[in-house]
Amino acid sequence: MNEKIITYIKDELSIESIDSIHIDEDLLGNGIVDSLGMIKLVVFLEKEFQVTISPEDMTVENFNSVRSISTYLSTPRT
Amino acid sequence: MLYNIANLIEQSAVLFPKKDAFKCLDDSISYQALNSKANKLSCCLLEQGLVRGDRVAIFMNRCLDTAVAVYGIVKSGGTFVAIDPFLPLERILIILNDCEIKHIITTPAQTRKIKLITQNAHFLKSVIGISENLDGKTISWDKVFSQTLDNYLPPKILEHDLASILYTSGSTGSPKGIMHSHHSLLSLAKLEADLHHSNDSDIIGNFAPLHFDQSLFGYLSGPLVGATTVIFPDAYVKLPASLSALVAKEKITIWFSVPLILIQVLLNGEIDNYDFSALRWVRFGGEVFPVKLLRQLMLKWPHAKFINSYGPSELARCTYYILEQPPETDDPIPLGTVWKNTEYKILDTSDQEVKNGQSGELVIRTATMMIGYWNRKELTEQSFFKIEVAPGYEHVYYKTGDLVYENDKKELMFLGRIDRQVKLRGYRIELDEIEAILLKNELITEAAVIVVKKDIEIRELEAVVCLADGAKMNADEIVDFCKLLLPSYMVPQTITIMHKFPRTGTGKVDRNKLIELIETQTL
Repeated sequence: MNEKIITYIKDELSIESIDSIHIDEDLLGNGIVDSLGMIKLVVFLEKEFQVTISPEDMTVENFNSVRSISTYLSTPRT
Repeated sequence: MLYNIANLIEQSAVLFPKKDAFKCLDDSISYQALNSKANKLSCCLLEQGLVRGDRVAIFMNRCLDTAVAVYGIVKSGGTFVAIDPFLPLERILIILNDCEIKHIITTPAQTRKIKLITQNAHFLKSVIGISENLDGKTISWDKVFSQTLDNYLPPKILEHDLASILYTSGSTGSPKGIMHSHHSLLSLAKLEADLHHSNDSDIIGNFAPLHFDQSLFGYLSGPLVGATTVIFPDAYVKLPASLSALVAKEKITIWFSVPLILIQVLLNGEIDNYDFSALRWVRFGGEVFPVKLLRQLMLKWPHAKFINSYGPSELARCTYYILEQPPETDDPIPLGTVWKNTEYKILDTSDQEVKNGQSGELVIRTATMMIGYWNRKELTEQSFFKIEVAPGYEHVYYKTGDLVYENDKKELMFLGRIDRQVKLRGYRIELDEIEAILLKNELITEAAVIVVKKDIEIRELEAVVCLADGAKMNADEIVDFCKLLLPSYMVPQTITIMHKFPRTGTGKVDRNKLIELIETQTL
């Protein structure tokens, strides 16, 4: 899951070409993904992993890094 | 006496020494500590050989140190140039070169990009704010703050000295730097405090990055009255649910942002789950707020007064319109009237004042007027409208390029632009600049960039290009080329390759026809 997310961000969203993204790297603060990219990322995640991401889940805790995104997606929702 | 912007924190350090000047998540800095740290940065810059008037770059994401950087630079007699860290390297280098930056102030989070910059900008003498050693030029924050001020001699700073240069899109293909003096920035701080009757009990929500002039409200007007300015980090501005939670937690009393951030909070920010009762004022500006959404938001926050704020970066802000009640109709919200220390005229195409509510170009004379564009004397002259009152004495107005008219209540109403500047998501974009960049590619012979409406709220940039004979290039390659030279918000979302452009009778590219073809998908 981490690999798929990293590949998508690297190929489709990153503002400039970067070699690698660490799974704990701050995606939003360090300028890897901008606000438009954030919307695209959510659409990608919903499609790729067959999930629905509700607005209340779109938080810094859940989306700050690749690790936090996959933790969020792997946690069963009530 | 207040006459330069360094005085703002010096005054508040005396009146409110222990009070938080700035906050960012769990970090905060008091007025006393900010003043002391800014003195140390100033001292460090002077030791690095800074000469009064030198331009110093601030290269930071939104964090607490941005405040230390702004005040440290101006205290040293320097001019701060805030650079968007999200810009592509090429564009950063153009700006650094244009205003001859020798010193750059940054933060450890930017180390990756700073390395790239220092490899390409050999003219840099010092890089302040990161610990990693790059060519012996770096000075860490720890080192800056550990020095003593025994030999520190604060320089003279007059109110008409240059305080800041702010870069914005320029129609010729490279960004242009807007120069503001201490006088104009101090005037702005006073006018904004007057508009909100703000005082030391206010908590200002700062959602704009430093390179966007909305942030000057929090960075300058906040310290003028001893308020606390809360800097919202990049991640929070992008994630509305987290943004709502933080606004409520910090008990923000004055909000100032582009409409987009408010719209996100309204639609995706779980607005009913948080307590926004501390909000006194909600001010928006930078682009038009769709009236339906504004009404919805005002109904959610009936206790707050809303203000439509307008003004180009050349004079920061100049008009305001206060909404006490949600708008009853969907008619456009007026720009309102000019605030204090400001006057205007509406001119027709032969520079004569229009009569009886006719439309024309808005020109403004105000205390917050820029000095001009850095290194662009001719462009500066073109942007001013001058009236000679007596030989050797003239009134100087800035030509906004905005088409307006006065309604029957003498309020200014916005109609559009007289040129090809557009506002998208709050960003000011010259379509001509994107076209000029596209034409830098040898394979592209013609380019037209237009704004296409996707639905009520979404408008996107679209480029239509003609390729040289036999040239092979696809849309993705063109997008990649743009990404190298343009900020991401100026990169066209869609590229269409055509063999021949529709033309008007006079042979010009028919952009209206292009828009029609694209919106009806008949291209």
